[in-house]
Amino acid sequence: MVVTAYIVRRLFATLPVMAVVALFVFFLLRLAPGDPAAIIAGEDATNEAIEAVRARLGLDRPIVEQFAVWLWALLQGDMGVSIFSNLPVTRLIAQRLEPTLALTLSTLFIAVALAIPIGVVAAWKARKLADRLVMGFAVLGFAMPVFVLAYVLIYFFAVQWQLLPVQGYSPIAEGFWPFVESLILPSIALGITYMALIARITRASMLEVLQQDYIRTANAKGLATDRVLLLHALKNASVPIVTVIGIGIALLISGVVITETVFNIPGLGRLTVDAVLKRDYPIVQGLILVFAAAKVIVNLIIDISYAFLDPRIRY
Amino acid sequence: MNAILQIRDLHTQFDTLDGVVRAVDGVSFDVARGETLGIVGESGCGKSVTALSILRLIPPETGRIAQGSIRFEGTELTVLSEEEMKRLRGHRISMIFQEPMTSLNPVLTIGTQIAENVVRHLRVSWKAGRDRAREMLDLVRIADAARRLDEYPHQLSGGMRQRVMIAMALSCAPQVLIADEPTTALDVTIQAQILDLMLELKEKTGTAIVLITHDLGVVAETTERVVVMYAGRKVEEAPVEALFDDPLHPYTRGLMQAIPRLDVDADANGERPRLQEIPGLVPLLTRPIVGCAFAARCSLATDHCRSAAPPFVDAGAGHGVACWETGA
Amino acid sequence: MAASSAVLADDLAPPSRRFSLPTAIRRNPTIALGGALLAALIVMAIFAPLIATNDPFKIAPVNRLRPPSERWWFGTDQFGRDVFSRTVYGARVSLIVGLSVAAFSSLLGLALGLACGYFKRIDSIVMRVMDGLMAIPSILLAIALITLTRPGLGIVIVAIVIPEVPRIVRVVRAVVLSIRAQPYIESAIAGGTKNIKLLARHVLPNTLAPLIVQSTYVCASAMLIEAGLSFLGAGVPPEVPSWGNIIAQGRSFFQIAPWTILIPGAFLAVTVLAVNLLGDGLRDRLDPRLARRL
Repeated sequence: MVVTAYIVRRLFATLPVMAVVALFVFFLLRLAPGDPAAIIAGEDATNEAIEAVRARLGLDRPIVEQFAVWLWALLQGDMGVSIFSNLPVTRLIAQRLEPTLALTLSTLFIAVALAIPIGVVAAWKARKLADRLVMGFAVLGFAMPVFVLAYVLIYFFAVQWQLLPVQGYSPIAEGFWPFVESLILPSIALGITYMALIARITRASMLEVLQQDYIRTANAKGLATDRVLLLHALKNASVPIVTVIGIGIALLISGVVITETVFNIPGLGRLTVDAVLKRDYPIVQGLILVFAAAKVIVNLIIDISYAFLDPRIRY
Repeated sequence: MNAILQIRDLHTQFDTLDGVVRAVDGVSFDVARGETLGIVGESGCGKSVTALSILRLIPPETGRIAQGSIRFEGTELTVLSEEEMKRLRGHRISMIFQEPMTSLNPVLTIGTQIAENVVRHLRVSWKAGRDRAREMLDLVRIADAARRLDEYPHQLSGGMRQRVMIAMALSCAPQVLIADEPTTALDVTIQAQILDLMLELKEKTGTAIVLITHDLGVVAETTERVVVMYAGRKVEEAPVEALFDDPLHPYTRGLMQAIPRLDVDADANGERPRLQEIPGLVPLLTRPIVGCAFAARCSLATDHCRSAAPPFVDAGAGHGVACWETGA
Repeated sequence: MAASSAVLADDLAPPSRRFSLPTAIRRNPTIALGGALLAALIVMAIFAPLIATNDPFKIAPVNRLRPPSERWWFGTDQFGRDVFSRTVYGARVSLIVGLSVAAFSSLLGLALGLACGYFKRIDSIVMRVMDGLMAIPSILLAIALITLTRPGLGIVIVAIVIPEVPRIVRVVRAVVLSIRAQPYIESAIAGGTKNIKLLARHVLPNTLAPLIVQSTYVCASAMLIEAGLSFLGAGVPPEVPSWGNIIAQGRSFFQIAPWTILIPGAFLAVTVLAVNLLGDGLRDRLDPRLARRL
């Protein structure tokens, strides 16, 4: 089956990328000028403390051996142990996973569900008021830094009007509505930039598609407007839109770090910031791997979806 | 005449950066039930725009039907709502276009594109639509029709795609099929097949065909009556044999003379006569043209021609012309 | 041929070619707006000492958390520092970082992109590395790089250049590959034209337009990343006024003194907006075909 072969090929293509990420993550510590053990041990560490760190982390072995050991452990699901808390990195990550996942998915869902229709309408009513409004929103939304928007939203919705919580996260286990309420403002703050990007590409892609001859044919057949727009046009416009959704995931992940900090959500983003500032390298390494893997998987899904959206892309 | 389509004094205009372009400048003609009418003229003469105007497919942001009447089976089309026009398109009046490569949607199957037309207009189920699509593919002589239904346009050749376009256009048994240069983008052998197919289908279904082309050869082979257009105006109209035997308008005569001929012998010096051309250029359509549109290039032109536009007069036997010099 | 009242196609005169500023502005409103805003901000940054009404570093706890007033146009923060003056100085950091990152990543990206377009072996290695870098979210990459050494403006710039370079390399490489595939290049090579000359006359000029457009987007992105980094505490040192810093320090008192966050935030948004507008306008002007891609 041509489609299966395509999927397998795309899967294999992700391996070199992950290899580079793994190499980078491994060498991160060793890239620093100075002694890695000293960096980890901290500024005021004694020589004995530094040596202890060195022995504990195996930093005195040859570099190839270190890499092999590290990689092997990684493939078995062992990402090492936090320097400060002595807990396994995998456990720390698993604990913080739910909030980040909830935030990311809800943002993704809201952004895509709103942005694509907005973009379609803008292209359909090109150069009229609706279009200008959408374009204005797109330009402004894309320039807005996440944390600024977050604070603006908090100021109005939480502080002044007291409609939503100022910060914090309520796990889904503790009730569905509090869970939703705690996610609304963060999702909007995080999602606006993403929405602006998607709406813009949707509009641009639709505009180009609407000029094509096959749309003229569809109109000459007297088909209903929504069928022409949504099936005939949008399906053709979808490849660049889906591409941008994938590229935007990177924006989303970067934004998660900031959003969690602003809203005090105990997720992976906050974990990253804390770990980096404390120079808890095993956690940093683990997190970069996790985020990179997430990004790679998303892009893989997007690559695969191309085959379903455009029958010409089956190679 | 048993006219199914009556166009009277059609004026279609476009807004461009250089001003208002009068693409169709007062055109009138009839299409009889079941006849094959050819509309011929060079690029830019307004023939395609006339076709698009009939179906009201002129993009509203840039153009409009400024004036005129289009009657289809007695109904005035220019005052219908968009919804009512949509019911007509693809159903009672169909249109096929020049570029089969790009006129079919690349991400939808052939079967879907034909069936959706049937389902939309004839209000039947998808299964019935697909069955009809298969019948149509058989009708246009595409082999292995059942398999083709699930294929995509890029898997077909140009000639086959044009057949699919024809199948799509005829799927609801329209009264009129407008074909805008349907064979121009195809190579010559396929051209002949497609034209033959269209005529054969016309015999079977009784559909009138309005064939738009710049190729006089296609006109001679395929049409019964011809309308000649120049600069947005109709300059001559005749049954096809009469047009070729006795062209009345100087433009038509120029076109006939310009056809390269293989049956002319070389003279004593071994030279063949030069190809005849019509001197000059097409007029700009952004200014209103005073007088006869062809006057600037016409060897018979007089001051009267340049100051007053000649009316279209009937010269007998269904042959009409708009010319002061040859039409009186 | 007799004269006629019908206008023939070759009668029109060619359009006038003199350059006039009002027309240029009318035809390129986005470039004009973005450019004007950016210029105003640059002027503000350069003349910060003249514009600032108070000393941005001066701590005066007695004046803490005052709302905007005549003396402190944007109010004060929890240390009594004038928010207006700090904001004005903050422009310097953002602009310096944005412009330097854009410049360095453009140069580096251009060099790498050209190398990739010309040498297949370099191409495979470099593009794999670029793909890997692009897989890591930029803020994480930047934070990770910064924490390797002592923080400082230079380190921040380097740490932001690295995640931004892959984007430029991609664009330049794409242009180089497409130009080299053109038939006229083949004939130039067949005619004995040296590679250097080809590079200078054909390849480089075509890379300039996309490069300029991408570098404006890199500039905007760099400013956002720097602000984010400073906000998280991993950017420029906290005494140096950077919009990100100022916002971070305003966090604890946000509910009673929102101006400490909202005002520098607005400035940041406007600056990024200006650069984005400039980029969009340039893109539409320099190559309408690019408008189709990102």
